[in-house]
Amino acid sequence: MILVAEGLRKLYGEFCALDGVSLGVAAGEFVSIIGPNGAGKSTLINILTGLTPPSAGTVRFKEREIHGLGPVRLARLGMARSFQLVHIFPDLTVLETLQAAVVARLGRGTRLFASLARDRDVQREALEVAELFRLSDKLGALARHLPQGDKKLLDVASAFALRPEIILLDEPTSGVSTADKTAVMETLVGASRRIGLQAIIQVEHDMDIVFAYSDRIIALHQGKVLADGAPSSIQADQRVIDTVIGRRGRAR
Amino acid sequence: MSQHVVNVLLSGVFHASILFLVAAGLQVIFGVQKIFNLACGSFYALGAYVGVSAVGWYTAAGGPPALFIVPLALAGLAVGAVGLVVERGLLSFVYERDETFQLLLTFAVVLMMEDAIRLTWGTAPRSTAGLYLVYGQTHLLGATVPVYNLIVIAASLAIAVAIGWLLTRTTFGRIVRATADNREMAAALGVDLRRVYAKVFTLGTALGTLGGALVIPATAAMSEMGIELIVEAFAVVVIGGLGSMRGAFVGALVVGILRSIAISTYPELEMLLIYLIVITVLVLRPRGLFGGAAV
Amino acid sequence: MTGRLLVAAAAAAIAVAPLVASTYHVLLMLPFMAYAVVLLGLNLLFGYAGLVSFGHALFIGIGAYTGAFLTSHCKIRSLEVILIAAAALGALVAAPVGALCVRYVKIYFGMLTLAFGMVFHTFVLKFYRLTGGDEGTPFLRPSLLGRSLEAMPKIDYLVGPYYYYSLAVLVLATLCMWRIVHSPFGLCLKTIRDNPAKAETLGIGVTRYRFHAFVISAVYAAVGGALLGPPIGNVDPTLAYWTHSGNIVFMTLLGGFTSFFGPVVGAFVFIYLQHWVMSVVPYWRLIFGAILAAIVIFAPGGLLGLLTPRRAAVRL
Repeated sequence: MILVAEGLRKLYGEFCALDGVSLGVAAGEFVSIIGPNGAGKSTLINILTGLTPPSAGTVRFKEREIHGLGPVRLARLGMARSFQLVHIFPDLTVLETLQAAVVARLGRGTRLFASLARDRDVQREALEVAELFRLSDKLGALARHLPQGDKKLLDVASAFALRPEIILLDEPTSGVSTADKTAVMETLVGASRRIGLQAIIQVEHDMDIVFAYSDRIIALHQGKVLADGAPSSIQADQRVIDTVIGRRGRAR
Repeated sequence: MSQHVVNVLLSGVFHASILFLVAAGLQVIFGVQKIFNLACGSFYALGAYVGVSAVGWYTAAGGPPALFIVPLALAGLAVGAVGLVVERGLLSFVYERDETFQLLLTFAVVLMMEDAIRLTWGTAPRSTAGLYLVYGQTHLLGATVPVYNLIVIAASLAIAVAIGWLLTRTTFGRIVRATADNREMAAALGVDLRRVYAKVFTLGTALGTLGGALVIPATAAMSEMGIELIVEAFAVVVIGGLGSMRGAFVGALVVGILRSIAISTYPELEMLLIYLIVITVLVLRPRGLFGGAAV
Repeated sequence: MTGRLLVAAAAAAIAVAPLVASTYHVLLMLPFMAYAVVLLGLNLLFGYAGLVSFGHALFIGIGAYTGAFLTSHCKIRSLEVILIAAAALGALVAAPVGALCVRYVKIYFGMLTLAFGMVFHTFVLKFYRLTGGDEGTPFLRPSLLGRSLEAMPKIDYLVGPYYYYSLAVLVLATLCMWRIVHSPFGLCLKTIRDNPAKAETLGIGVTRYRFHAFVISAVYAAVGGALLGPPIGNVDPTLAYWTHSGNIVFMTLLGGFTSFFGPVVGAFVFIYLQHWVMSVVPYWRLIFGAILAAIVIFAPGGLLGLLTPRRAAVRL
């Protein structure tokens, strides 16, 4: 088990966002977290990635409790994430964004007097990731000028550039046109094989995507785990159908 | 209590009364508009100079000395209208911007007002000389204190109460507090933010100009008084907590009295002590005594 | 390419100025060069790391007073020693101050830096036995590269050897900062300026990088401060007053904080404009305040931002 969460609770004042959520992700798994809005999915991701501390419960990444580590340490330990609301560096180019991730990964951030442009390792890796995500023709574009779908891709790509062992994606295809969604997912899965990613956790609303790519699905509802299992069993689970999936297999 | 101690305390409380007015102006502006108005010291200076001139015209026109405080206070309040001009003419253009730019804009106002005052009144200090002694002096707890100072302290207290009443009992006050709490929500509920901002900024400015006017009889209007006071006012709001009226009150007392103690014991330490307290507060409890959300 | 040509042309112009321009203008270049060094450092903090310091005059003061002390009280005249000492002291003070301040952002950072700046100001003002109080301490003529030039008349010294020495320091400082900004470190700084939350998820420790930027900018400010001293011959507490900190932020904004040479341009324009205005009417603050207001409202990218629109990223 790469990532294990036990009894997670999160309270915002009186409001209980998560109420006793436990889950485990093993190496090689592609896990999707589904649920209606307000079910606690983003809160869960934030807790799993160390951005928010839980009110109760523990999270273990590679057997190690993440309490108090924070996103910076976790990134160095091999955990990466992307954001639901697109997070980019608005005034950096696509290339610079990827370079930054590689620099961080290689631990070269303290090099004050080295030339970034002449760092071959950084350039090579950044260009590799750009190619994986089909951003090679947009390297010089400022991130703020990219179309929404490409911003999303960049966000995910920079997470991949860290060569993490586990990556948590918060709605990776939201804001991407339906035609592009499959392309994005194929890119993602292809890229993960290339860089030796051990596990992917994603929050996703598009049920077609969820059922096409997941090894396992976790359904959240009102802060609790409703169901946790293979796509086939989830598809047959009446409670999940009622609350999350709906009749025609598309949740909103 | 020894006479010396009483003197120090009263002097501190007097200074605190003035500081409170300026700081209250700073707080209400920060609380509602989230702008730290560096120019509050400049408005204070403006009020001081206008006050001197007003009193000068008043006595030249033959007004009875005993009532000099009336034109003084009225002039101080009236010139607060400058705040409206600054708000409408400058600040309103940067409400959507990063707070750094808003801060720099208030710094621009500081620069402009420094010279505007110099242009109008010159660089020599102006004062009303001994006019405030027309109210005489009195004995309090063994010390001799000018009655004028006590009037100012009383006035400041009255204004504090009035502000409290304004904020808690009137519709305007409720709107102000709602906007300070959550401006998006207030706007969604129909509050005209632009008008609230204009009124709040003018109110904050008027408090500062009034403070400047009231302090004049006891000291003199000098060209550096604006940029010097802002650092004290800044200390008050940090200690008291940004955006809090109670904070302005308590912070003013702390700064005023500590400063008075420092002056009478170790003059070198005067502001040094205050700044060290500011740094300590910012480090240990950034939101001050009564401040809002954690930083 | 045109950018590089312009820089080369400017450098050449500065180099030949003492030979062609009037003494008055050449003398003005001295504070310009000193402030240019200060601003190169300040913009690392402002333009690249996204932090506005309202107390950087603290480090200018440290640099200036270091030089004044060494020349007046310690009989050390070597400008090399002075500059190194200023840099070292700047770094020494910046370490604890920076460690504290960079944990806060935006307005609280500004307030903390303002408070520290004023602590120093009060210190040099009140402890007059040590520092000369509001009269300040004399900054005696330093020797350059081991050669004491005491015999030279002051003006000849300033527009000659001292001018070129300052220019050399400025060129060195510029090259150094250029490297820093274009290094992996510089890139990481830009990420924390643009989106600290995302930078953290990439493993970039926001506070650590801000701290390094703070210390580097303090060293630059101290070196620039030391260079400010000799032409005036005296350093006084006004160098550390909070409005001085505000003015250098103003200069940065004036030139344009989104470009590498913006602050240098800002220093140039500020100093020359200030002197020109003061020769006509003593109310330079009124005009400059209006200029600052205009920049903030209409042209936040500064002068260079106006000349090269749509350039949000920091690059030459």
